[in-house]
Amino acid sequence: MSRGLQISGVSKHFSEGSNRVSALEQVSITVEPGEFVAVVGPSGSGKSTFLSIAGALLRASEGEVRINGQDISKLSARELSNVRLQEIGFIMQSSNLVPYLNVLDQLLVVKRMSGKVRAEDKAFAIKLLEGLGLGAKLKGFPEELSGGEKQRTAIARALMNNPNVILADEPTASLDTKRAHEVVSLIAHEVKSRQKAAVMVTHDERMLAYCDKVYRMEDGKLSLALSDAVHAPMTAKAGH
Amino acid sequence: MFLAMKELMRNKMRFFMIVIIFVLVSWLVLILSGLGNGLSTLAAATFKNMKADYVVFEQGSQSSMSKSLMSDQLVAEVKQLPNVEDASPMGNTMATALKGNSTKNEDKVDIAIIGIDPGSFLEPAVVEGKGLSADNLNGIIANATMKDDGFKLGDTFQLDGTNESLTIIGFVENQTYNHVAAVFAPMAEWRKITFSAPGSDKGIENPVNAIMLQGKDIDPSVINAKLSNTDTVTRAAAVKGMPGFKEENASITMMLAFLLTISAFVLGVFFYVVTMQKTNQFGIMKAIGAKNGFLGRAIISQVLVLSVMSIAAGILLTYGTAAVIPKAIPFKLDSSLVINYSIVLLIIAMLSSLVSVRKMTKIDPLKALGRVE
Repeated sequence: MSRGLQISGVSKHFSEGSNRVSALEQVSITVEPGEFVAVVGPSGSGKSTFLSIAGALLRASEGEVRINGQDISKLSARELSNVRLQEIGFIMQSSNLVPYLNVLDQLLVVKRMSGKVRAEDKAFAIKLLEGLGLGAKLKGFPEELSGGEKQRTAIARALMNNPNVILADEPTASLDTKRAHEVVSLIAHEVKSRQKAAVMVTHDERMLAYCDKVYRMEDGKLSLALSDAVHAPMTAKAGH
Repeated sequence: MFLAMKELMRNKMRFFMIVIIFVLVSWLVLILSGLGNGLSTLAAATFKNMKADYVVFEQGSQSSMSKSLMSDQLVAEVKQLPNVEDASPMGNTMATALKGNSTKNEDKVDIAIIGIDPGSFLEPAVVEGKGLSADNLNGIIANATMKDDGFKLGDTFQLDGTNESLTIIGFVENQTYNHVAAVFAPMAEWRKITFSAPGSDKGIENPVNAIMLQGKDIDPSVINAKLSNTDTVTRAAAVKGMPGFKEENASITMMLAFLLTISAFVLGVFFYVVTMQKTNQFGIMKAIGAKNGFLGRAIISQVLVLSVMSIAAGILLTYGTAAVIPKAIPFKLDSSLVINYSIVLLIIAMLSSLVSVRKMTKIDPLKALGRVE
């Protein structure tokens, strides 16, 4: 059994009145651990549907989704929420933090969802946040953070349960160029060093340099646009 | 609890406003229950405090003392019946006590004269002075509230409209009947006062209004069958039979019922609105793997914390009110009543929070993220 994310022959249809609308058509993609993949495409192309299905938030009409070798297409809602909790780290658009939790609690609440918070969980959370440059902001609330700090908190939260798959949905949408580079290079760094299978949906072309592969989504069809060709500039730019 | 407390601490102002509403509601509920209790105590404390289990009335008297008249002979007869441990007669007359020969308003006091056999189980224990005596027919024991009207131990007062004078030989506590102070008099003296007009005793020898029975296992139907022309009821039924008692209680009960219903809706709507405002947060947490149980527990524990705080504050305020409320207002807090209504309020709050929990379970994490194409 292989690790990472495997999606094969996935389609998704929505009913719109009497019409049947296809959001995804026979999409297949494999993301290996340590691989950082970008999905680009115009709005309405099916990118978000794709990410929702990969993220166990939405069921495919047909096809198979395997996360870390486990087929999630037949799971119950409760089991799906376990998959999201244990196997998937979501990095959403900014301001998707819980407003009344401080930075450290944003991470600890993830542990709370699956039971108790142990001392080593807290230590791990602090280490994660320090690694992302948030050591001085542990007690800060979202409203006191800058856009970049919020996104870095979200990255740390996504890594908190040590998931196998990282999904990022437009993580740079509300950031300026400098912060956007900072955030995506951090994601790339974490993906490489922690061996996660990562998918980033974006239409920010500036960020593609950090990715191993770039897929293009158009009218529900996914195609490989760029392969390892971009690898060189990425390592150069990320430069750690 | 984690989420619930973190949010409470972070949004103190918003929750403070909910707590204020809840405190006012519980305060009002408890005050109203205290008033209801005070009123019913005023109306029937003497009856409620009597160590009697059943009451024998005349048939057709609708369990009302004022409509019932029987002969004293029945007391001896009823004592012979199965399961009757003891029996004692009782009579009641409303009267007015006149302080001296004064004609001032404040020197006329309404009282309820309760005729009993001196030394019987119906005689309450005095807190001051001494008990009734068959040798001193004019010596009575009175409720201590008469002291507020200026009566002292050893005072003699006249009954308005009669030539009878009574002397206070003892005071008792918590003895009110028909909303006025109860005055216990020996049966013979009570008869003299009550049946002074010729024919008012309907020709019954040694008339009494009712016979109080002791005995937990008494079967009322057996008594009714053995004693002709009688109607035996429980003491609780006799209390309800007092003129105006049911009506008075029904008004208070209806107010309380409405208040509790309204509070259920008000609180439910508050919690619901708060939950609606958090749709996005709940969606995010669901997206990162929170289960309905986790978030549901957060909502319920939050409501629990708010409710306990509010009810506790309401109880404090109610006891504070009890301490300063004027004596003229019949207000009587009963700790079991306070506990009961507090539990009812808590249950109502918890039930009303279930609407919010249900709403939360329906939140689709995908919609909350606002990314559905």
